[in-house]
Amino acid sequence: MDILQNVSDEIHRALYIKSLRKGLSRSVNRLVPAPYRILDRWRYLLEYTEELREAKEKVLQDIDYYIDLTMKRVEETRGHAYYAKTRDEAVKLVNDLVGEDKLIVKSKSMVTEELRLREELAKNGNTVYETDLGELLIQFSRDKPMHTTAPAIHITREKAIRILRKHGVEVRDDMSTTEIVGMVRIFLREKFVEADIGISGANSIAADTGSIFLVSNEGNIRNTTSLPPMHIAITGVEKIMPSMDLAFKQTITQAAYAGLYPPTYVSVISGPSSTADIEFERVYGVHGPKEVHVILYDGGRIEMLKNEVISEQLYCIRCGRCQAECPIWQLVGNIWGGNVYGGPMGMGWTAIVEGIEKAASLSHFCLLCGKCREVCPMKIDMPRIIRYLKTYYFKYVRKG
Amino acid sequence: MPLPVKDIIDMIRTNISKRGTPLPISDKDATGWTDGLDIPMGGETILYTGLLYQLNPYIDSVVDRLDKLDDESLGGLLKVGKVFSGVLDISRFFVKPDKGDIMIQHEKIRRIALLLKKAGVEFGYLYKDEMYSGVLLYDLGLEDDFKKHAEKVFRKFKEHNVKKIITIDPHSTHVLRSIYPQYIKDFDIQVKNYLEILVERDLSIENKVEEKVTIHDPCYYARYENIVREPRILLGKGGLDIVEPEKSGRLTYCCGGPLESLSPKIAAEVAKYRAAELSSYCDKVVTMCPICYSNLRRVARGIIEVEDISSVLWKIYGD
Repeated sequence: MDILQNVSDEIHRALYIKSLRKGLSRSVNRLVPAPYRILDRWRYLLEYTEELREAKEKVLQDIDYYIDLTMKRVEETRGHAYYAKTRDEAVKLVNDLVGEDKLIVKSKSMVTEELRLREELAKNGNTVYETDLGELLIQFSRDKPMHTTAPAIHITREKAIRILRKHGVEVRDDMSTTEIVGMVRIFLREKFVEADIGISGANSIAADTGSIFLVSNEGNIRNTTSLPPMHIAITGVEKIMPSMDLAFKQTITQAAYAGLYPPTYVSVISGPSSTADIEFERVYGVHGPKEVHVILYDGGRIEMLKNEVISEQLYCIRCGRCQAECPIWQLVGNIWGGNVYGGPMGMGWTAIVEGIEKAASLSHFCLLCGKCREVCPMKIDMPRIIRYLKTYYFKYVRKG
Repeated sequence: MPLPVKDIIDMIRTNISKRGTPLPISDKDATGWTDGLDIPMGGETILYTGLLYQLNPYIDSVVDRLDKLDDESLGGLLKVGKVFSGVLDISRFFVKPDKGDIMIQHEKIRRIALLLKKAGVEFGYLYKDEMYSGVLLYDLGLEDDFKKHAEKVFRKFKEHNVKKIITIDPHSTHVLRSIYPQYIKDFDIQVKNYLEILVERDLSIENKVEEKVTIHDPCYYARYENIVREPRILLGKGGLDIVEPEKSGRLTYCCGGPLESLSPKIAAEVAKYRAAELSSYCDKVVTMCPICYSNLRRVARGIIEVEDISSVLWKIYGD
């Protein structure tokens, strides 16, 4: 059977999954209004979006230069920098750094979903724990992330309790959300302390300093990136910003458009921990990691720059607002999507990471209503991308 | 059971290429709205219906059938596929538009025409020569078919020496005004929507209508053609109390209509969501697009009352 019919069948099945519909609708009601309130109050964020779009254009036009520069600056901070063109290269890099039988804590990262990194690491006897609560629920339930910043948005409270209990988190049905979170804290605390390696993504990376920016509210990213002796950060090359200030702006703008502002934590990491407290001699490896590895992942992005239409998706800061506002996404979440990305942004992203053919089959379930473009901080013309994909389907996937 | 997407696309595609419209519509149903209006054939300025209002009862009838197919267990897609491959030939039997609905649609176009006349606009109509715009081909991604079709439509306009077109729905407005010029090199016809013209002409009111209504902006007017002010000006002058929903203007919410051919189920779910939202503002909803009208009405019986803007404008500005 062809992919188009499969997509249709899957979306239609999803319409009847009551818990999914309930979970999505509860969350959507809270998620959608949040950015409006935030943007109304902190109006400078609107100016940032324009600056960011310009900066993104600049970086992507000259991507090789910015990759080189970023790697050089990471090395200057005593971090180790790598460029991985393909998924296999990226997985091999991580496997070589990690080795076998390690305990790994991980913060949520869509790039690691692209790499299916948890599964790859487990093959070598490593034990991996997601530390973002939403992503932990996804890991435990072997589900796929339903939203870019809120992966478990479709899981109701009741279902979350069942999932956690099944995996050894001591939660009870009568517990409040605060109490549930308290039990997760206890469960993950020992993992943080004992972990050999912390793996994270990055919300931004500054080309002029080699600094990685990470945003979080749970505090899990701070623990993941500072408690274990080794930190590996993997990020898409499109996350590069020319400078530290723009990287910061990208990070907080993403948080705002994702509906949580100010974000509780923004981590800026420039290499391994160090001290110069004895005779001002700088030595590395103090309380934080001794080693920091930064992998810049291409995974189809640079190739897609040649496509005038789809390449615009690379300006995406992955706030997920287009998903939250999309009438189709609100019904079925990322089930309307590829293996990793769904909803409006997921059409372009699936084309980039899984191929245009796959995305072309998905595109037919878009209404082309244009709400996504209207609410996108980067003003990405997603309807144009999706129209292109629909057309592509008839030109190349199903000819005649 | 989801519908066989491919077969549906094929049905639409073949219908448009053979008959010029997504569904076979009779000349009488297409042009009957002109009865007694004495609108001249052709002319430099024409009213272009794009057949969208007239096709609506046809679409309703098909969606109703599709929806039933969708619900039935037909023992595998193959069987549904067969039903569909036969659809093209039997579509005249398959599609049974409600006669009363057709008259209601005709009345809407008639009122739009009369309002334009009252505003002093002179225009003709192409009658049987009026062609469907091809917007569905464009929306489905059937670019080559669309281009061919658009060229035919353009040639027909040229045959009749048309220089200005007045459109009456968002889809035809968008596709003629913003898309045709991208596909047809010499496209030089001016396209205006009747709401824009009525505002420009500053039509005088006949009656105050002191009613509370909420308004549903069609995506194509609000986000693609920037027609947001016009309906509000026209309704406001008539004394209507317009309760703006949160999702209005450029931030409006789709009615689900664009997916009604590929999936009546998804279209209905989107429409339900929108109807529920609108009902929290007011139980009277004014729409401006025949597709929004029928999609919302299909799911909203008993929750909200849906009225096309032409009917409301008639109460204010009509005789």
